[in-house]
Amino acid sequence: MKLTTNEATLLSAVTTPNSEAARIARGLDMFVVAILFFAIIAAFHIHIMLTVGDWDFWVDWKDRMYWVTATPMLLIFIPAALSYPFMMRFGLPIAGTLCAFCLVLGEWISRIVGFHLWTYFPYSMIWPAIVLPGLMLMDLVLLLSRNLFITSIFGGSAVAFAFAPANWPILAPYHEPVVHMGQLVNVADMIGYSFTRTATPEYLRFIERGTLRTFGGESTLISTGFSGFVCMILFFVWWKIGEWLTNLGTIPNVMKKHVGLGDDDDEK
Amino acid sequence: MTTMKSSKRNALNVRAALIKSVLLMVLMCVTGLVLAHGERNQEPFLRMKTLHWYDIKWSVENDSTIQVNDLVEMTGKVHFFSRWPEVINKPSTIFLGNATPGPVFVRVETYLDGVPMIQSTGVEMGHVYDFKVILKARIPGRHHVHPMINVESAGGLVGPGIWITVAGDADDFVYSITTRTGTEIANLGSYAVPNVIKWHAIWATVGVLWLLWWFRRPLIIQRYLLVKQGSWDQLITNNDRKIAATLIVGIIVTLIYANNITKEKYPRTVPLQGSKAHVDVPVNKYAGMVTVKNLSAEYYLPGRTVTVKAKITNNTNSPIQLGEFTAANIRFVNHSVPAAMKGVDVGYPDELVANDSLKVSDQTPIQPGETKILDIEATDVAWETERLSSLLNDPDSSYGALLFFYNAKGERIIEEIYGQIIPTFID
Ligand SMILES: [Cu+2]
Repeated sequence: MKLTTNEATLLSAVTTPNSEAARIARGLDMFVVAILFFAIIAAFHIHIMLTVGDWDFWVDWKDRMYWVTATPMLLIFIPAALSYPFMMRFGLPIAGTLCAFCLVLGEWISRIVGFHLWTYFPYSMIWPAIVLPGLMLMDLVLLLSRNLFITSIFGGSAVAFAFAPANWPILAPYHEPVVHMGQLVNVADMIGYSFTRTATPEYLRFIERGTLRTFGGESTLISTGFSGFVCMILFFVWWKIGEWLTNLGTIPNVMKKHVGLGDDDDEK
Repeated sequence: MTTMKSSKRNALNVRAALIKSVLLMVLMCVTGLVLAHGERNQEPFLRMKTLHWYDIKWSVENDSTIQVNDLVEMTGKVHFFSRWPEVINKPSTIFLGNATPGPVFVRVETYLDGVPMIQSTGVEMGHVYDFKVILKARIPGRHHVHPMINVESAGGLVGPGIWITVAGDADDFVYSITTRTGTEIANLGSYAVPNVIKWHAIWATVGVLWLLWWFRRPLIIQRYLLVKQGSWDQLITNNDRKIAATLIVGIIVTLIYANNITKEKYPRTVPLQGSKAHVDVPVNKYAGMVTVKNLSAEYYLPGRTVTVKAKITNNTNSPIQLGEFTAANIRFVNHSVPAAMKGVDVGYPDELVANDSLKVSDQTPIQPGETKILDIEATDVAWETERLSSLLNDPDSSYGALLFFYNAKGERIIEEIYGQIIPTFID
């Protein structure tokens, strides 16, 4: 699309090195980035707390079935929706990475302050999952393809495909078997049993209670595959929602003339 | 060296305390102050017609002080009431634990009728189970410690509690276990945490570098206009593409590599265990020994008294006397029955035993085969302080209690009593 004369002037001004315009534009960047940073921490963190919730809070909820299936699906909403304005308005293929970083930062703050210092839960019990590799792969596929369908298929599914492999290196030590009171459990079960959650007893755990028999015990693979498939669709859907929200347009500000400003051309 | 360490620790404590007090103020503004663990906030019908705890013993005395790492053992019996409230699930899924302010104690062992309770289980109504809970002190402070059973759909139902002061330093707490594969875990609470932090740090670094790669360029105005102009070769350069392709390969290779070394390091793992423990239904040894029927029950509000008229038949072959009436963890003991008085341990929490004797209209023993109608009067401020008087706010205005009878040999027979309860508001 062709720029208007004003826009062309503005572009040449902000692209002139060391110009006043470039300095002001950079100031605006800093300001917006700072606001965006906290807004994403807040929004994405609350979304994940309310949806993934206990699966992400506790080590003894991180199972092969529900945690692996549900987390990527719930992770992809906001990054996919933000990908549209980030990429299609600013050419920035970083929505996934930014969301992932903000989310995990927010989670660590809440785990340290709310879970550890305030309610005494040990860190072995409350670490958050790693979500960055999958969401970053999503960004990278979008960067290279600049195509919605390819990104849905390869980028969307990458969020799910990378989830279990990204977390197994930190989860595996907690899945070593333990025999306690003559009962076989794993270290994560043992941690959940030992450190009392008064309001979250064992039976509330929403975890795999019997093997997905037909698939020979490869629960993680099956869950990942299913989640990957759903994530492809979800990326597409949430990208479209992002597109719709981005293009809602503006509402003319009728209050303007009361403070002495005239109508702008583009608002007519 | 030691002073430096302790002063650093003090500074940390001060900071933690500061953060906490700020959070507490916020919390109080939002919710109003909640006392203890809200054991008194539970509806009386829940407390009177679900679990009745008795013969509770703690290995330490009420209000005593113990050290970090010391063990506390709670034992006793828990009776699952026959007339279970309609609105909650039958106790087919329950979990035995402890009501403490979060993990200030570590739960070391729990047993229901000798069966390990690391998993949830199911029980039968109308039966009595022995329980045992062993805790290990972790966080210093003055804590209220109860046994508790979580019942699916009803939440946590707490037993009688005592105050325990834990002294010492939380940093001295240790809880070590050895895995089946031979790994020695020095401290369960910090096990494998450095590894978690390491991987989080690695990925966060990758993410931050990638974000900085973009952030170093002019962003909003310039890129917006370039997008509008369609100058994609300036927005995403060849260099960007090369790095992106390298990153894709790098991320995938890292994930594969990380999983391979993990597999080598932890070749034997088991998934989370989610089965249910099985506890045999215990035999009710008191079955049929005494027949109890509630004829009427009243709650006399100004006097904080519950009066029950009950028809009692002694089916045993020795005379019996009513020694105790217990409901919602409050014990009303008949002072003229020595065996019943012996049942109250020294140091049993005062607030859970009525000061006045349980009044029984006819104190002469009920002879074998005899049926008597007794007026039983249980008076105590506990009806108010334990908020049992809010019975009147329940849509289900009924009560439930256990009656303890004693024969001449001091043997105890326990029977349930339940029925509608009618309020009296004026003198
Ligand atoms: Cu309490």
